[in-house]
Parts: sequence; C-alpha cells; structure tokens
Amino acid sequence: MLEVKNLTKSFTTFRKEPGLKGSLKALLRREKVIKNALKSVSFKIEQGEIVGLIGANGAGKTTLVKILAGIVHPTSGEATVLGFKPWERDNEYRKQMSLIMGQKAQVWWDLPALDSFLLLKEIYQIEDSLYKKNIEFLADTLMIKDQLKTQVRKLSLGERMKIELMAALLHRPRVIFLDEPTIGLDISAQKAVREFMRNYQSEFKPITILTSHYMEDIKELCPRIMIIKEGQFVYDGALSEVQKMMGDEKRLTVTTKEKTFKLSVPRSELGVKMSELFTANEILDLNIHDPSIEDIIESIMNYGIKTP
Amino acid sequence: MKRYVRLYLFFLQFSFSKALEFRIDFFFRIAMDIMYYIVNIALFKILLLHTPFIAGWSDQQMMVFVGCYLLVDAINMTVFSTNMWWLPFYINRGELDYYLIRPVSPLFFLSLREFSANSFINLIIAGCFFFYSLFNYSQDWSLLSLIGLIILLINGSLIYYCIQMLMILPVFWTQSARGFIDLFYTLGLAMERPDRIFKGWLRILFTIFLPFALIASFPARVFLEGADFSTIFHLILVSTGLWLIVLYVWKMGLKNYSSASS
Repeated sequence: MLEVKNLTKSFTTFRKEPGLKGSLKALLRREKVIKNALKSVSFKIEQGEIVGLIGANGAGKTTLVKILAGIVHPTSGEATVLGFKPWERDNEYRKQMSLIMGQKAQVWWDLPALDSFLLLKEIYQIEDSLYKKNIEFLADTLMIKDQLKTQVRKLSLGERMKIELMAALLHRPRVIFLDEPTIGLDISAQKAVREFMRNYQSEFKPITILTSHYMEDIKELCPRIMIIKEGQFVYDGALSEVQKMMGDEKRLTVTTKEKTFKLSVPRSELGVKMSELFTANEILDLNIHDPSIEDIIESIMNYGIKTP
Repeated sequence: MKRYVRLYLFFLQFSFSKALEFRIDFFFRIAMDIMYYIVNIALFKILLLHTPFIAGWSDQQMMVFVGCYLLVDAINMTVFSTNMWWLPFYINRGELDYYLIRPVSPLFFLSLREFSANSFINLIIAGCFFFYSLFNYSQDWSLLSLIGLIILLINGSLIYYCIQMLMILPVFWTQSARGFIDLFYTLGLAMERPDRIFKGWLRILFTIFLPFALIASFPARVFLEGADFSTIFHLILVSTGLWLIVLYVWKMGLKNYSSASS
C-alpha cells in the first residue's frame, strides 16, 4: 500500500533580473523566492491500483513522483510505500520499485539492450530462471524480440521506449512510477505501450502512478485520477465521476462569417444564449455537445472545480 | 562485496566493447600518453645530467619514483578519469536520479562505471616502465618490498581519487561547471615531485591537507629507503581520514541534491 499524509515540499530559488546589470545586482544581494511545489498533499493507493496523476507543467507532479521514488526529500509530511519511507532509500524498497521517465534514458546507449539487462539482473539480483522468464514475457508482449541485440542508439524512439519499459520491469517491481511514458511516440507506438501496461497491470497487480500529458493514456489505463494544481490536489476520484463535477454545462461551437469560437453555457441558459447569438451574428454553423473529459480536466486544471 | 566485483566486471566488459568501436580515439590516446611519459622521463634525465642527486635520490632511484607516479597516473586515467569528467555534469543537470533509485551504492556506480578501455594500453606501457625501472635499480630488493610498494601505490591511487572528488563535490552547492577541478590539475604537479623538496607550510599542505606527496613519493621512499613506523602511520592516518571526509561530503551533497531538486 502507498499512503501519503500532508506531504509538503518547498525549496528556495533566487530571482535574478535579466541582463548583465541583473547579474551584478544578484551578486551583491540575491532575492530569495520560496517555491511551494507541494502543499500538504494526502492520499492512499491500494496494491494493484493504477492511478493517473494529471496537472499542468510545474504543478508538482514530478516532485511528488520523485519524493515517492526516494530521490527527493520532502520538507514535511509522511509517506509510506510498502511500509518504507522512500527517501531513506532502503535497498529492500529500491529492489521493489521502479521509475520510468520518458525523457531520460536509463539503458546504455552504445550497447545492445541485452547487455544492459544483464547488468540490471546483477544490480537487482534477479534469479536466473525468473530473469529468463521475464525477458521472454516482456519481449513477447512488447514485440521487440528482434531488437534486443541491436545497439540501443540505433533503435527508433518507440523501440527505445519499449526497451526502457523492459529495463524498468525486469525485476518485477511492486511499485511503478511512470512519468510520461508515451512522450514523443507515434500513435501506434503509444497504443502498443498502453496495451502492454494494461496487460502488465492486470497480470502482476503493482501499485502504479502514471503521469502523462496525453489524455488518451489516462482514459485507457486509469480508472482513478488525481488532478494537481499549484501543488494541491483539486480532484481525487473516479475518472467516470469527473464529468459530474462540472454540473450541467453544454459546449457550443459557433461558426460565423468572421470566425469560429467556443462557448460554455449552463443548460438552463441555453435558450437565452442562443437567441442572443442569432440576433448578434450571422451564424453559418452551430454545434451543441457535452464537454469531453479533456475539456473538463482542462477546465479543472485552469479554474478549479465549480460546484453545480 | 562479491556482487560489486561482478558488477565491476560488467563495467569492464561494456567499456571494452564500446572502446573498440572508436578506433581513431583509441590510437590518439595512446600517442598522447606516450608523449606525456617521454616528457616526464626526459625532464628528470636532463636535470640529472647536471646533478648526481635530486632530493637525495640518484638517477636510478629517481626513475623508480617516476615509474611510480606514471603508474598511478595511468591507473587514474583508466579507472577514474572518465567518471570524474562526467560527475559534475550529472550533478548539475540533475541526472543522479537513476543512480539514486538503484539498490546499489550510487558512489560506487558513479565513480567506477566508465572504465577507459582506451587508456588500457597506457596502463600496460606505464606498468612496463615501472618494472623496467625496478629491475634497472642496482640495489637488491625483496618480493615482499615489491608487494608493499604495489599496495602503497594502490592506496596512492585512492588518495588521488579522493582529492579529485573533494575538488568536484562542491559542485553540489556551487552549481558551477567544473568545481575546483582546475585547481586540482595545477596542484596535482606536486605528485610528480619528490616529497623532500617541500619544506615548511608547503610540506604540511602536501602531506596532510592535500596529500599529493603521499601518492607516489612516500611509497617510493618506503621502497627505496625502508619502511619506518612514522611514515606508515602517517600514510594510514591521512588516507583513512581523507576517505572518511569524502564519504561525509558525498552524503551531505546528496542530501543537498535531494532537497534542492524538484
């Protein structure tokens, strides 16, 4: 189980005005800026659950993941994962945990993947039989058997991501942090990675936290989502429930002679708004629809939750 | 321990298969280092044309000393240098993340991961010169004193590594590009001089605080002039102290890294 209580992280940076003048000024007197990356966050995740962590750039997603992976010390608050405090970096914890960052490579570029895997086998002290079984299973389901003996730098981006996934899952972790696993991949590679993660999740039941900018990833994989905004959770619950958070809104897409624009209108005011529109503009096309999950999450990320 | 040896064998294997791919670099490095060896040997040879002794050592003894520090230098170039080159970049760019999540000491990983297979031939050349200088030395020496010398030189390599680390690790706090590593290379010349030429505060500096004199000169002196208790005691004390300081600074650095990064 993963449990987080009042987790807070703030760190100090220094502000500097642009240009040489600013640099000289900063040399004499630096202006301290305290940034609160996480503000008293609490939640619980059960074994076998996969949770989507959503938020704009700089909202605190990566900080949270890094604290749980043991890389970053929190300023205050508690976190226990499988009974360990992550930042104490107990080897027993690190053996059961995996972190995959879509933007950072962990395998050796100049070597074939299989060589890196052998090293990981040694690092995680994976039994021979389990190692063989895992390589076979992962290579099969990721459909990457033929690329294991090629130097990693010669592979395509999608193939490389699959190799990274293999590398991260070889020791069969019980906790997985996936940070943007599909970033930069083409549609079919994204699909393959998603498909794989779904199968892996149902077969081995790890705790998984997935952060992604692609709503497709979240929609396909995560029954539960947590939305984080400026270091605080604004939503933690079922993905299917999120639609209710927005109350009874309709989206209008209006095309006039001059432009196309979008509007959000409460259902009760729909009639009034429409007649206003028709009197004010020459309407060429009009579309009325329910907001998509993307729309809702974007609006929660930008404006927080509106209570109906 | 056995596990770490096995991990190191992997590093070796990886480094060799990588190095053989880059042939020009391979030969260039050999040429460069041979030049470095010739310059060093020639320097003392020329000085010895004008004086029979340097700091109390004869031509043959001087060559044993030169063999010692060239060997330590070659060990450093092959075992540590590539890692030391990359370390400040990793720290600055926040790329320690993947090392911190592994159930293996990150210090071990970051210090030893890249073996410079390119410089391996140089290690052999330096080794050859080292043994040549020993066999050329007209005084008798025992196998035991040779083993003692090699142990002291390995200890010297560790001292060299430790001083280097202490110059790099401030990067955790300064976020500068290379730390004080340039200072290291400038002062590092002290390793290539017999320790007797350092007097007064310089002697205190180079035998205690930045113990470059303990890397090759002390071991050579123990071999050439016999071991006395105070020298051995000094070597053990300073080496242990230095190692503990490196471990402590590393720990503090990591703490700073993990509380500063987001």
